[in-house]
Amino acid sequence: MKPFIPRLATFSFVALTLSAPLAPASAEARFDGVTLNLASQNDQYAAVLAALAPEFEKLAGAKVDVDILSYPELLTKITADYVGHAKGYDIATVDIVWSGQFAEAGYTVDLADWIKRDAAEIKVDDIYPSLMSSLGGYKGKQIAFPFAGYANVLAYRKDLYEAAGLKPPATMEEFVADALKLTDPSKKAYGFVANGQKGPAVAQDWMQYNRQFGGSVLDAAGKPALNSSANVASLVEYKKLFDQAAPPGAVDYDWGGREESFRQGLVANMQTWSIGAADYDNPKVSKIAGKAGILPSPMAKGLPQEYGIGGWGLGVNADIDPKKKEAAWAFIKWVTSQPIHKELNMRGAGSYLRKSEMTDPDLLAKFPFLPVIATSFEHGDGDFRPRIPQYPELQDIIGSAINAVLVGQADPKAAMDEAQAKAEALFK
Amino acid sequence: MSILAHGQASSPDEAAEPPARLSYVWKRRLFLAALAAPALIYVVAVAGGPIVQGFLYSFESYNLIRPTSRHFVGLDNYAAFWRDPTARAALVNTFVFTIGAVAVEFALGLGIALLLWRDDLFNRIVLGLLLIPATVTPLVVGLVFNALLNPDYGMLGYALVQIGLSGPHGLLADPHRALLTLIAIDAWEWTPLMALILLAGLKTLPADVLEAAAVDGANAAQRLRHVVFPLLIPAAFLALVLRMMDAFRVFDIIFVTTAGGPADATNTLMIYGVKQGLEFFNIGAASAVSTVTTLCILAMAFALICVAKPAKNRQA
Repeated sequence: MKPFIPRLATFSFVALTLSAPLAPASAEARFDGVTLNLASQNDQYAAVLAALAPEFEKLAGAKVDVDILSYPELLTKITADYVGHAKGYDIATVDIVWSGQFAEAGYTVDLADWIKRDAAEIKVDDIYPSLMSSLGGYKGKQIAFPFAGYANVLAYRKDLYEAAGLKPPATMEEFVADALKLTDPSKKAYGFVANGQKGPAVAQDWMQYNRQFGGSVLDAAGKPALNSSANVASLVEYKKLFDQAAPPGAVDYDWGGREESFRQGLVANMQTWSIGAADYDNPKVSKIAGKAGILPSPMAKGLPQEYGIGGWGLGVNADIDPKKKEAAWAFIKWVTSQPIHKELNMRGAGSYLRKSEMTDPDLLAKFPFLPVIATSFEHGDGDFRPRIPQYPELQDIIGSAINAVLVGQADPKAAMDEAQAKAEALFK
Repeated sequence: MSILAHGQASSPDEAAEPPARLSYVWKRRLFLAALAAPALIYVVAVAGGPIVQGFLYSFESYNLIRPTSRHFVGLDNYAAFWRDPTARAALVNTFVFTIGAVAVEFALGLGIALLLWRDDLFNRIVLGLLLIPATVTPLVVGLVFNALLNPDYGMLGYALVQIGLSGPHGLLADPHRALLTLIAIDAWEWTPLMALILLAGLKTLPADVLEAAAVDGANAAQRLRHVVFPLLIPAAFLALVLRMMDAFRVFDIIFVTTAGGPADATNTLMIYGVKQGLEFFNIGAASAVSTVTTLCILAMAFALICVAKPAKNRQA
């Protein structure tokens, strides 16, 4: 049974957080009778967001209905809503990679002026600049306000590293060497796992590793450079890891399969989004509780420390009435304010945004890996997956090419040459 | 009362002309049309309208991300489809999947239907149990088989690797076996439905014809070949057309197991079309894929009619 004092402390904290000074942002504004429809990605934060939304109604009068949707469903529904000017959703969670598309199409309100106006109230300085620029920032516009920042981190098995007399990898060279050393197929022990399945799964994982190996999907001019020597070399290395250090089934793994293989104890290393980190120590879903460590993702020797970041912003539908836009902005300020965002994370949203969250004693006690996320956000790179309007097609081209190489249907150089030709057609 | 008895329509040609006072034939036609009207209006509004709209979109360059740049491009979307090796692979895969899955399901379904033909309690229970797979949504079927066939921690996948029936990457990651595996999964789910339709057909066969054949000395194989199969053609036609249309539009199972991979091994028209429409929002290209899919289904249905009709005529 949980001790009484910690339970009392938790209860007091929640009660205090949700009662008195909820959000300075919307304390004086009332939006009685307004209903805001919020389309949310079905990530860890979604259920917490839905649970907290009634508190905003008590404070500001506006009811917030949270519609939780899968990724393809969310993108399809909000795009249809924006294109048809149906005003079905007032607020939507916006993925980091949609920034270019949304900015070009003008689907959501440019929040830049409002952020400038309310900077002190929002405490903008407390928000990581890398998240502000990535989760909705695009070419001077702010098409969404950062809400849920994720860091690409290295999850590794502390016990296996200790048993092998190894230190956790600090560079990609060490990472590859360790992955090979920790692999013993006869014992069903593997040193590496990543998404191999065709499509977004393999494309997104490879783009992250590619950045760490020193490659880049676009060149300095912003044009595709898929068949550059650095990218081909990184793909050769990626295939080597799959062939020699990954569970054989990894070539068909998506995010679920990859995470499951780590939680099942099959693999020693996995790069992943920080949002799942808390689950590794949960014995209900993990066989490796207490054995997993979290570190910033390593970079190849000589490269600057830049860590992949991803996540979600909150965008306001550009078509809705001014009164609703005001209410939506008030809600966004409220839900991203220090106390409410902390409460979201105390309830397991795994979606960080503010510097103050990384040093908060309550959060640190519950999630000791926060300093790793802080380091990643301080040196975050949200553009390892290019946030450009052509991203969906580019991702598909990359996903098909990398998968073909991993399953032995194409040679790395030939596959990247073919992918480059297709990608160039997108930029004409 | 016959039409001739009224002396108003002595030939079919004359019957087609509406006389000043409505004949029985015309009254009956109008009555039947009135009965069908709600369904017709519904179909035209719900299915016909979008099909025509989709067909028209297929001649346009229309992307929802750039809606203002919409313009007429003639047959460019069809030409682009044909030039794209991925699209051509998807077309071939779709035909292989459809023909393979429907053939397997028909053969197994017919066998099961014949086994369950006799109406007794045991067969009724077995039939009820057999229908369980068909009640599970294909998405769930895909997820379940994806987990089962995982070569690293899947119950079935691991065993198949150990006994050498699967390569180390697993069946779903093997470019040469992935499509066959998906056909097997589809057959697992839909064979019972095929069996049910064929069984319904078997139950409607006239008992006297079968008894007459037996009395005439026909053995079981002869009765099957010369009596049962010809009489079963209408039910078989229905089962084949229904499953063919459904299998040709397969999406869920593939989406959650292989996403069209490895490489292009399991990419089908629906996977390709959904990607164009709902990932890239390229409505013009997606509409062209939809039109090609509809035409292929119509062609296959027509081919089935061409095969079934002479057989039915011979039987008549």
